[in-house]
Amino acid sequence: MTRLKRSRPLRLLCTLGALGPLAVALFPLYAIVVASFESTYTLLGNTYYFWPHSPTLANYRTVIHAQSGHVLTSLLVGLGTAALALVVAVPAAYALAKYRLRVTVLVVSALLVAQIVPSIVIATSLFIIFHWIHLLNSYPGLILADGTYAIPFAILVLRAFFFSLPNEVMQAARVDGASEWQTFTRIVVPLARSAVITVMVFAFLNGWGDFIFALTVLNGTTLQPITLAIYSYLGFYTSDWGAVMASVVFATVPAAVMLVVAQRYIASGLTAGSVVG
Amino acid sequence: MTLGTGAPAQVPAAVRRGGRPHATRADKGAGLTSWQRRQAAGWLFLAPAVLYVLFAFALPIVYNVMLSFERSSPETIASLTAPFAGLANYHFILTDPTTRTAIVHTFEFTAGSLLGQFIIGFALALLFSLRFPGKTIARSLIIVPWLVPLIVTGVIFKFLFQLEGGAVNQVLTDVGLVHHPIDWLDNPHLALLTILIANIWLGVPFFFLLLYAGLQDVPTEVKEAAVMDGAGPWQRLRLVIVPIILPVIEVTVLLGFVFTVKVFDLVIALTDGGPANATQLITTWSYNLSFQQFTFGEGAALNNVLLVLALICAPIYLWLSRSSLKASAGTVK
Repeated sequence: MTRLKRSRPLRLLCTLGALGPLAVALFPLYAIVVASFESTYTLLGNTYYFWPHSPTLANYRTVIHAQSGHVLTSLLVGLGTAALALVVAVPAAYALAKYRLRVTVLVVSALLVAQIVPSIVIATSLFIIFHWIHLLNSYPGLILADGTYAIPFAILVLRAFFFSLPNEVMQAARVDGASEWQTFTRIVVPLARSAVITVMVFAFLNGWGDFIFALTVLNGTTLQPITLAIYSYLGFYTSDWGAVMASVVFATVPAAVMLVVAQRYIASGLTAGSVVG
Repeated sequence: MTLGTGAPAQVPAAVRRGGRPHATRADKGAGLTSWQRRQAAGWLFLAPAVLYVLFAFALPIVYNVMLSFERSSPETIASLTAPFAGLANYHFILTDPTTRTAIVHTFEFTAGSLLGQFIIGFALALLFSLRFPGKTIARSLIIVPWLVPLIVTGVIFKFLFQLEGGAVNQVLTDVGLVHHPIDWLDNPHLALLTILIANIWLGVPFFFLLLYAGLQDVPTEVKEAAVMDGAGPWQRLRLVIVPIILPVIEVTVLLGFVFTVKVFDLVIALTDGGPANATQLITTWSYNLSFQQFTFGEGAALNNVLLVLALICAPIYLWLSRSSLKASAGTVK
C-alpha cells in the first residue's frame, strides 16, 4: 500500500487520524503531571481542568520526604533484579545458544512456559516458603521473586542475540588459548554489550514496577517500594489526589530516565534477536 | 526435538575444528577431551538458571498443588505443611458463588480485552503502514505508556474515571454525550467495563507494535499484485494481508491472552475487586482468599484453576515458537 501514490491532503488526514489515538495513549501521563501541580482544593472540586487551575508545588513538598525512602528501596530492588538477571541469564543464554547440551530444548521449553505462569500462583507459594526460610520482608526475597518476570525473558532474548554471534569469534579466542570462561567474559559479553544492557534495563523496570510480590512477600512495613507506598497512600488519602499524583511522578520519572538513557542500546539490542517467540 | 541424538554426530567436527590447539591443555585438565571440557563449561554456564527455574517456578507450582489439598489457617502458615483436606478446597471453589463469578468475570474480561485490543491495535497498525508526516515520532510515542508501572496505571485511571472532577466525565459532559456524570467505578454494572477499558488502553500498544511489525513483512509486490488484479481495500486486507500475517496474529493474541488472565495490579488499584465483587477476577479473588482471609488452601486451589487456564496455551505457544526451539547451537541467523 505504501507504494501507491497518495495526495498530500490524504497523507495529512492520516496524520490527523494518528493524532487521536496518540492523544488517548499519552493523555493519562499528561494528566498525572497536571494533577501533581494542582492544589488539593481544585482537585476536590467538581470540575476537571486540563491545565493547572491553581498551580502549586505543595504536593511535591508533601511527598518528597514521605516518598524518597520508598524511591530508594525501589531503586535497590530494580538494581538487584538487574544484577540477578545478569548473573543468571547471560551465561545461561550463552550456553543455550552456543553449546550443544542435551537439555537445551527442555530448558528453552521450560523458560517459554515459565513466562506463562501467573505471578499470583508463585506469590502464594513463595509467601509460605519465604516465611519458612526467613526471606519474607527482605531485599533478597523480593529480588528473587521479581526475577520471575525478568529471567525467562532475558534468557530468551539474549539467546536470540547469541545466535547472531559468529562461532569463529569464539574459536579464534580458543585458538589463542583462552579458557571457556575467559572467552565468555572477555570476548562474548563485550560483544553482546547492547543486548546485555537491554535485558538489564528491562529487569530493572520489572523490579521497579513490581507490585504483586511487594504486596505479598513484603508482609511488613519496614520495606516498602514506591509502588506499594502509592497503593497504601491511595488507601489512606483517597482525597489527596495531588499528593498521590506527585508520588506517581516519583514512581515514573526514574524509570523513564533509565529507558531514555539506555535507548541507544535497547534499539540495537532488541533488533538483534527477534523478541517474540 | 532431535537435538539430543543429533549432538554426538557433531562431536568429531568440533574436535577437528577447535580441538587441536587445546590438546596439551586438555591433558593437564584431568584427561578430559576438549569436547568434554566444553560440555562441562556449558553446564556450568547453565547451572544458575536451572537452579533458579527450579526454585522460583517449579517449587512454587508443586508447592501450590500440595497447598491446595491442605486445610491451612493463620496458625499453619508458620509450618510448611497443614492437615490434609482432601478435595475440600476444590469443593469450595466449585460451589462458592464469588469464586464462580470471579471465573466468569475473568473470561468476560479476557475476551473483551483481546477483542478491543486486537481491533484497535490492528486498525492502528494498518494506519501506520501508510506513509504520513510525523509517523516515526508518533510510533515511538505510542508505546510510552509502557514506562508506567501497572499499579500506577490503575491509580491514574482511578483518577480519570472519578465520578466528580474526573477527566472522562468532564469530556463526556462537555461534548454533550451525557448529561449526568457516570459512576464508572462504584456502579457494579459499569465497574467491569471500566477495568476493561483501562486494560484495553494498556494492551493496545503491545498489539499495535507486534501487528505493525508483521505488516512490515508483507511483500510490497504481493500488495501491488492484488491492486493490479482489481482487489478493493477490504478484499486486499481479508484475502491477502491477513492470511500472510496470520502467524503474527496468532502469537499476538496468544501472548495477549496470557497477559490478560494474569492481570492483577490494575484491578487492585482501580476497584480492589469491588464494588460487591463486581470486578473480582481469579487473580484478585485468589489474593483475597490467601492473603486477606488466610485460607491459603482455597487460594491455592483457585490458583491451580488459573494455572490450568494459562497453561492451556503452553502447547500452542511452544508450537508457535518451534523455530526458536530448533535453532540449535551455532546456527547463525
